[in-house]
Amino acid sequence: MLGALLAAVFGLPLLALLVLAASGSGEYLAHIASTRLTEFSRSSALLAILSGAVAAIIGVSCAWIVTRFEFAGRKLFEWLLILPLAMPGYVAAYSWYALTAPGSRLEQLIGIDLPTVSGIAGAAFIFAFTLYPYVFLLARNSLEAHGRLSWDVARSLGAGPWQAFAKVGLPLIWPAVAAGTALVAMEVLADYGVADFLGVSTLTVGIVRAWSSFGDPAAAAQIAVILLFGALIFLGVERGARGRRQFVSGEAEGLQSARTPLSGANSLAAILVCVIPITLGLVAPAANLAWLAIETQPARSIMAAVQGTALLATTSGLLAIIIGLTAAFALRSGRPAATAAIRFVQAGYAVPGAVAAIAILAALVVIQAGVNWMTGGAILTITGGSIFALLFAYQARFAAVAILPCESALGKVRRELDEAARNLGATPRQVLARIHVPLAASGVATAGLLVGIEVMKELPATMILRPFDLETLAVAAHNYASDERLAQAALPALVLLAICVPATAALNLLRPNA
Amino acid sequence: MSIKRSLKQGMACFAAALLASCTGGETEPDPDKLVIYSSRHYDSDYALYKAFEEAKGVTVEVIEADGDLLIERVRADGASNPPDVIITVDSGRLWRADQEGLFAPAESEFLNERIPASMRHADGHWYGLSSRARVIVYARDRVDADALAGYESLADPAFEGRVCARSSGNIYNISLLAALIDRWGETRAQDWASKVAANFARAPQGGDSDQIRAVAAGECDVALVNHYYFARMARSEEDDVSGLAVFWPEASPGVHVNISGAGVASGARNPELALSFIEFAASDEGQRLFPELTNEYPAVTSVSYSNDVLDAMGKFTADPLSGSVIGGNQELAQRVFDRAGWP
Repeated sequence: MLGALLAAVFGLPLLALLVLAASGSGEYLAHIASTRLTEFSRSSALLAILSGAVAAIIGVSCAWIVTRFEFAGRKLFEWLLILPLAMPGYVAAYSWYALTAPGSRLEQLIGIDLPTVSGIAGAAFIFAFTLYPYVFLLARNSLEAHGRLSWDVARSLGAGPWQAFAKVGLPLIWPAVAAGTALVAMEVLADYGVADFLGVSTLTVGIVRAWSSFGDPAAAAQIAVILLFGALIFLGVERGARGRRQFVSGEAEGLQSARTPLSGANSLAAILVCVIPITLGLVAPAANLAWLAIETQPARSIMAAVQGTALLATTSGLLAIIIGLTAAFALRSGRPAATAAIRFVQAGYAVPGAVAAIAILAALVVIQAGVNWMTGGAILTITGGSIFALLFAYQARFAAVAILPCESALGKVRRELDEAARNLGATPRQVLARIHVPLAASGVATAGLLVGIEVMKELPATMILRPFDLETLAVAAHNYASDERLAQAALPALVLLAICVPATAALNLLRPNA
Repeated sequence: MSIKRSLKQGMACFAAALLASCTGGETEPDPDKLVIYSSRHYDSDYALYKAFEEAKGVTVEVIEADGDLLIERVRADGASNPPDVIITVDSGRLWRADQEGLFAPAESEFLNERIPASMRHADGHWYGLSSRARVIVYARDRVDADALAGYESLADPAFEGRVCARSSGNIYNISLLAALIDRWGETRAQDWASKVAANFARAPQGGDSDQIRAVAAGECDVALVNHYYFARMARSEEDDVSGLAVFWPEASPGVHVNISGAGVASGARNPELALSFIEFAASDEGQRLFPELTNEYPAVTSVSYSNDVLDAMGKFTADPLSGSVIGGNQELAQRVFDRAGWP
């Protein structure tokens, strides 16, 4: 029931998208199919797979290192490693391109010709190093939840460290890795800014062109539907990878043995593995921006933008918690219809923000007409330009980000616990308050924070739907950057980072066993 | 500011925003408020809004969004949040917005007198305010200016592996090709586009400034860009473009220019105030802001301004092709690009 309601509300934009797509003539689709559709699809798939794979490798290795070994600075790295999530992809792309383009200041400084961050490889580099924290977070939480007993047992039975990792460690955390990688892949599929700037012809670039060059939102919707199917395939692969495996680890927390201490060269190697992603994903591009910002006189005050960003992020984070929990409970009920509906809503994550916003605008116009009809006049404005529309758009777009952590948090609340509590005479409400809430709290708060961070970084939907007087840092940075004034864009981008970084760091406080 | 205080402010702001959205709808129009939808976000524009506010004692509210988003937003809910003035970049987009019925006719003798006929709509639906020229920037030490004739030079096999340009999805490239299709016909225009693509030194990436930097760094020798990025870089200390020069691809009928323009919105609550804003933007005071702050050419040619870099670039003849031809050809232009393999 809850799931159906949720799907009805947040599936509406997707439904609007399908209707919009069906209203088109298909003429553009025919043109693009005979010219560039293959290239678009190939680039999208390749970019998503490449970014996801590299992000998974970075995320899993770092998670493994910080949970299994003890070395200087380990605790610090545990939360530093999450921070690149604060870096919006388009900001990283602008900054890295400026750093590595031929004749750049960095090249002059170090006197070496760097490979330019561009094309598919460049875009995958940007995505992998700014999005790997999704994999890292989920993998680390999973590693901690499972303890290390099975690993120790494997080792004592004669398995080498790699063998133990491959045969015991990886299978245990596989569902978490798959979920994190799926998030990365979906975000890559939905991206427009990075791909366009670095010259990768992805499906999203095709979608925006259908609209900007052909003035044909219906054609854009048609390609968006193709993309949506792609996203569903990725989600399907993720579910498949997860399989029906449910690992019940019988370890009590006290049984967790200590981390293996590393010394000398091994310790240095561990530090290096942790430093590289932080540097490439956050420090280097941010330092370049700081350099530019110091040299540049700000054109306008950004105080209003700071307030707008904070307002949208906090509100959306709170809403996401409510929605994520509702969905997770619906999923837990195990009803196939609810599950299917929620998977559909989750796929909305891969719809490019601009297309989602247009679909939402179309859907809201219909709802508005209904509201007006019921109330006999316009007493409530929910269409574009109202904060309602924008908040709705964020939830529809980031439902996947809200649902996955809630789902995995509730997954920890095993059914036996419910049954045991009920057998001991607890009412369903008591089960919720005494068992579900405390056990799931960290995952739920993670969902709220993740959505808050996503909202701070979100660009296209914010630009289309925001109220007249609502400025945000992302919009301010984009306006300058799109006019090729990176130096002016640097200040709002840095302030955005200054807010996102602590929010991201807070993710670390929320992990289980912290 | 303490966290608590900013939190409080945030809450107040949120409450106010919710309230505003609840009480929105059909309120009485405020005669002293001008609502502008703009796809431009330049210092010259902010200076213009501010000067207008001070001159008329009114408030200007601006919503900015990229060109196509802007059109879609006006189309979708212009009824509940009607703009008075719509400003957008590119004559093709102005044409498209007009096709969507977003502009209302607004006659002004002042504007008709000052703005050349090729830079405004025949029935006063929109008026051009400034323009940017699509030019060829070349490295002086590696390219002989005599070897350049017009846009067709970019397709010359002599420039194989030496040309830089941004991707074909960019509106400036689309409008240029739309104009060339009118000039040369579709077959020759496609032939040109595929030959230019074959001459690329690298896959299209980045914006116009990045193409100019690539020429400066020796990665390519010629680049197809808007003049105003070059002027901006020449005026800044961060970029060294002293080894580069602008070539005006003037071969008849002239250099392709991209027009920014404004029109009174259909459904405007304050149409008279809207028209007076456009007239203000076309006044000497308004017009000089465009070259001085944004390095664009003013629509009113008689206006005097100070900008050494623009002066040094010299005069050129602009292609007077109307926005309706460019707008009408844009879709075809993107198809031609797709077929020609210009990414």
